[in-house]
Amino acid sequence: MSITLPQDVIDLLNDRDTIKVLATVNDKGEPHAVFKQSLHVGEDGLIHSLELIETSRTAKNLVGSIWFERKLSILLRGADNRAVQIKGRVHQYHVSGALFQHHYLAARERLGDVDLAGVWVIEPEEVVEQGFQSRRSAEEAQHPTFIHLDRIAAH
Amino acid sequence: MGALLKPRYREEASFEEVLAEHPDFPRLVALKIDVQRRGVLYTERAQAAVDPDIHQLRSPYIFGSRDGAIKPLPESLLLRDGSTILVDPTPADQDPYVVDYQDGQFVLLDYGKVLDTVELWPKPTYYDKHTSTGLPMSHIVSARPQRLNVFQSSFCYFWAENEGCKFCDIVNHTKQQREELGVPSRLRPADVKETIAEAIREPGRFTNICLTAGSVTKGHEIFDQEVEFYIELLQAIGENFSTRRFPSQLISSAFNERQLRRLHEETGLSSYTSDLEVLNERLFNWICPGKARLVGYKEWRERLVRAVDIFGRGNVGTGLVGGVETAQPLGFKSEKDALEATLAEAEYLAERGVTTVYIVWVPRPQSVFAGQKAPSLDYYIRLARGLQDLRSKYGLSVDFDDYRRCGNHPDSDLARVA
Repeated sequence: MSITLPQDVIDLLNDRDTIKVLATVNDKGEPHAVFKQSLHVGEDGLIHSLELIETSRTAKNLVGSIWFERKLSILLRGADNRAVQIKGRVHQYHVSGALFQHHYLAARERLGDVDLAGVWVIEPEEVVEQGFQSRRSAEEAQHPTFIHLDRIAAH
Repeated sequence: MGALLKPRYREEASFEEVLAEHPDFPRLVALKIDVQRRGVLYTERAQAAVDPDIHQLRSPYIFGSRDGAIKPLPESLLLRDGSTILVDPTPADQDPYVVDYQDGQFVLLDYGKVLDTVELWPKPTYYDKHTSTGLPMSHIVSARPQRLNVFQSSFCYFWAENEGCKFCDIVNHTKQQREELGVPSRLRPADVKETIAEAIREPGRFTNICLTAGSVTKGHEIFDQEVEFYIELLQAIGENFSTRRFPSQLISSAFNERQLRRLHEETGLSSYTSDLEVLNERLFNWICPGKARLVGYKEWRERLVRAVDIFGRGNVGTGLVGGVETAQPLGFKSEKDALEATLAEAEYLAERGVTTVYIVWVPRPQSVFAGQKAPSLDYYIRLARGLQDLRSKYGLSVDFDDYRRCGNHPDSDLARVA
């Protein structure tokens, strides 16, 4: 089920200084993760990603995502060290039309003589705070007995 | 009171029922197949939402449509996975899928149920322009979302002897286009060169050029004149590029080695396809009598194999009118037998470096097979899977004829994840 991304996550996605990782799986469940700095939020509120290598492992896995509704994961780490994971699936792949052409021109303007295979549109389904402090607090709240005893020893 | 029209597909297993039998087959590719098999009908609401400034309307094509008419309807559809569906308008009494416009988007309906969203093909900028000789550029070179089509001539000399392929309507459709639209029956290389120069100004729009036409049997050796036409055309097109070879596909008659070498050496052509249409000699003789009499099944097939030595593995292909092997009265009676026979022959070709792709057979109203019915969706799913499995088994790529460079072959769509 698609969700609306909160504004702070949109800002994190659209920040060029954010480190962005896209993790996908193939039909055998084998994971594959790549840095994907082109991830951003489009005007439709969904996550867009540029495909510069048409037959990359990621591209094949994303085709698998749209064909078989396989989930993918996006990991973001902001300049302030905030870490967020977004889970979702591919909704659409643009290989022509106005959106594609806009990114084709922009990519070549920014990167030089590159080609653009397409623009992936990803529907976010879940946002998870992945920063250590927030994960630690959640863990301690849910599993208060998961602790080495020396940490609570009286002497 | 008129007789009730009998729906053509309602008695079959539904799309979802067939797909449930193939859980490893992509739903969108199956949908593409079934939409091609059954055709589409645009609702009035969908037609009203078409914007001729941004959507590509039907332009000259080498084959006719199921409704036998030339109307200003959308050219065709794009699925969410970026693949194209080449499908033409179909009369309601043939039980087509329906394209409607709901909540700001085009949707595909089956018996009132929304199956998916679709997009219309975007119109290329050159479609509004004319050549310096005054011809609409859309009549010279037609567009798909990522490919340019050059239909050099739509006359096929096999028809002159009443030996045209029985599934084909090329000559009848040519006459209709010439009379109703004024489309030239033969293209001038200068017009093609000028149109392609204009088309490729549009950034990111096109990745391939496909040339095809009817067979021209004339010449010192059979097809010499056809080869000459293509060389002239390809050389003119090539002047638009900075590289000697450019991404291109020629779909033509089965040329001999001398003719193939000329094409390879004298032009920038990068791939070669010659359609066997049906992978069975007995049915080839019946369905393609002109090809059978003047070349023969085995020689046509061996010419493809010899082309691999010239163009290289992965750059030579043959096309099938998938399903025509079940045409009656002489075709296979069982889909199982048809599939086994087809895949066995496709394997013979794959072993020798020739890749096989299919299009979904549409029994067109101006063809000899008008009124027949294509095989089941299940058959086409198995055929697509079988052909792609052969490519994987023999390490064959199909880059020149895939979902983007062509878009009309469900089997090569599967190569996207190979």
